[in-house]
Amino acid sequence: MSHRQTAANTYRLRVECPGIAAAAVAGQFAMLRIADRVDPLLGRPLAVYDTYRSAEDDAPQGEISERRFADFVYVVHGRFTTALKSLAPGERMTLWGPLGNGYREVPTTGHLLLVAGGIGQTALLTLGRDRAAAGEKVTFCWGASRGAAFGDIDDFRRAGLDVHLATLDGSSGKRGTVIDLLDSLFPRSGAAETDAPRHVACCGPDGMMAAVSRWSEGRGLGCHVSLEAPMACGIGICFTCVARVKDAEGGWDYKRTCIEGPVFAATSIDWS
Amino acid sequence: MTNAPADSPPDGGSIDLTVHLGRLRLPNPILVASGTFGYAKEMVDFVDLHRLGGIVPKTITPRPRPGNVPWRTIETSAGLLNSIGLDNDGVEAFLRHQLPFLLGCAAPVIVSIAGADQREFVQIADRLEGVPGIAALELNISCPNVSHGVDLGTDPEACRSVVAGVRGVSRLPILAKLTPNVTSIADVARGARDGGADALTVINTCQGMAVDWRRRKPLLGNVVGGLSGPAIKPIALRCVHQVRRAVDTPIIGVGGIMTIDDVMEFLVTGASAVQVGTASFAEPRSSTRLLDALPAALAEAGVTRVADFVGTIRLPGAPQAPSSPQPH
Repeated sequence: MSHRQTAANTYRLRVECPGIAAAAVAGQFAMLRIADRVDPLLGRPLAVYDTYRSAEDDAPQGEISERRFADFVYVVHGRFTTALKSLAPGERMTLWGPLGNGYREVPTTGHLLLVAGGIGQTALLTLGRDRAAAGEKVTFCWGASRGAAFGDIDDFRRAGLDVHLATLDGSSGKRGTVIDLLDSLFPRSGAAETDAPRHVACCGPDGMMAAVSRWSEGRGLGCHVSLEAPMACGIGICFTCVARVKDAEGGWDYKRTCIEGPVFAATSIDWS
Repeated sequence: MTNAPADSPPDGGSIDLTVHLGRLRLPNPILVASGTFGYAKEMVDFVDLHRLGGIVPKTITPRPRPGNVPWRTIETSAGLLNSIGLDNDGVEAFLRHQLPFLLGCAAPVIVSIAGADQREFVQIADRLEGVPGIAALELNISCPNVSHGVDLGTDPEACRSVVAGVRGVSRLPILAKLTPNVTSIADVARGARDGGADALTVINTCQGMAVDWRRRKPLLGNVVGGLSGPAIKPIALRCVHQVRRAVDTPIIGVGGIMTIDDVMEFLVTGASAVQVGTASFAEPRSSTRLLDALPAALAEAGVTRVADFVGTIRLPGAPQAPSSPQPH
């Protein structure tokens, strides 16, 4: 296990977990728990950021099935991430995964737009790389409150993505929200728009994802969102992480984000 | 770093783990608690389901319930506060979509039921009567998250009436799950016994609340909820102790069990079996891990049958430990 800081209050953890590393698909997550502790008691869901063959690799190499290590990137926010950050060498963790559906339903359209807010980039790297490697154009827009929140941006550039940043304070990239950035890159009045994205995949805070969902709908673009919900188990047994998902009859039902998501078609989410 | 390995093989050994809860016979005393194990099919990748002493799936109600608004759980110090609100698709969907898998697990299935009033409990028990394969019913008269003005689990006479009503329509063994949120759990236990309960599940969650003072808001969507996990183990042990002294009805202990020491504490205090709850969230394999550790712990206690250890706690002023409750 190794650990390093990548941005303000943001850390990147590498863990040996072959069962997860060799099987995870883009957009899946794992549950991480500090073993044998009752405080923090439960595990936390973290996106599988990337996977590696060895503890030393600084870029993914070889077949997925050969991967033994996974990286997880997290912002220190509450009791779990505070404890995780200061984990002593030799302390044991328990991990289970890979979990969730991932971005399997995101169609190949020729130009995929990835939109991240805050720490949401962690769920998008491997999706972008997979699609870019398959020949699809991939634009990556990442918004945060300030530039210090961005870390390891080069991972996305090396993955073949066209990277654009926005910050509320203007300290990095375009000043404004990620929606402002999207508007400037892809103006509605843009003539032929041959270079415009055809589909959107998004991960970030709820309000930002709701806005990206509206933005996409307004341009007739399909959009998939990866919901972040508090989870106690990650495997469907606690019914904590529910989201209001619309059904075909015009009603809605609570769906478990962990096993029925975390990726949903944006139009199916009741953002109210 | 470990990555949830496959389940260990079943224990060998010469310890008799069989449990008798009145008419209900279980292969071992490690059950999984309602609301903490889904409908079991979510757990196939983690637990050898057939090894469990019993599976209590998530509580079902006569009609579908969407459950409460998020947030539904909050982790607190060594505990988990929840207000799920009996999110379930109702008894008919349970019979069609969940029960067939559960019955295929080859572990006793104890169906947890809840209703808004005595009539609904009887209605759902009646619907389940004659359905083959169900081992027992557990009456969830103690969920703190569904309030209808009348709490059937806090009044001894209401508790008696619900159990007796279900008794009247069901031939299955009946477990009554008691709430700790009462002045005297012994009185409610007597009500359940008088109504004809075969066993008592002790306890459901303890009412609690969590707040965010900066936003001046409660953290749970439902404002208050039920606390589970290690934080409530002392309360659960106290309740097992008090119920055991009040009635002869066998007890299933539940509340904060994480380790084999926790299991042994409940057994020695008077629980004939235990349910593992929140621990399955913290570590999906908790139940079978505890089962693996049980024979050695019982051997350390010097017994060859789990029943010989139940309730053997030595209390001050009581020179002889009371015997185990007898099957009746």
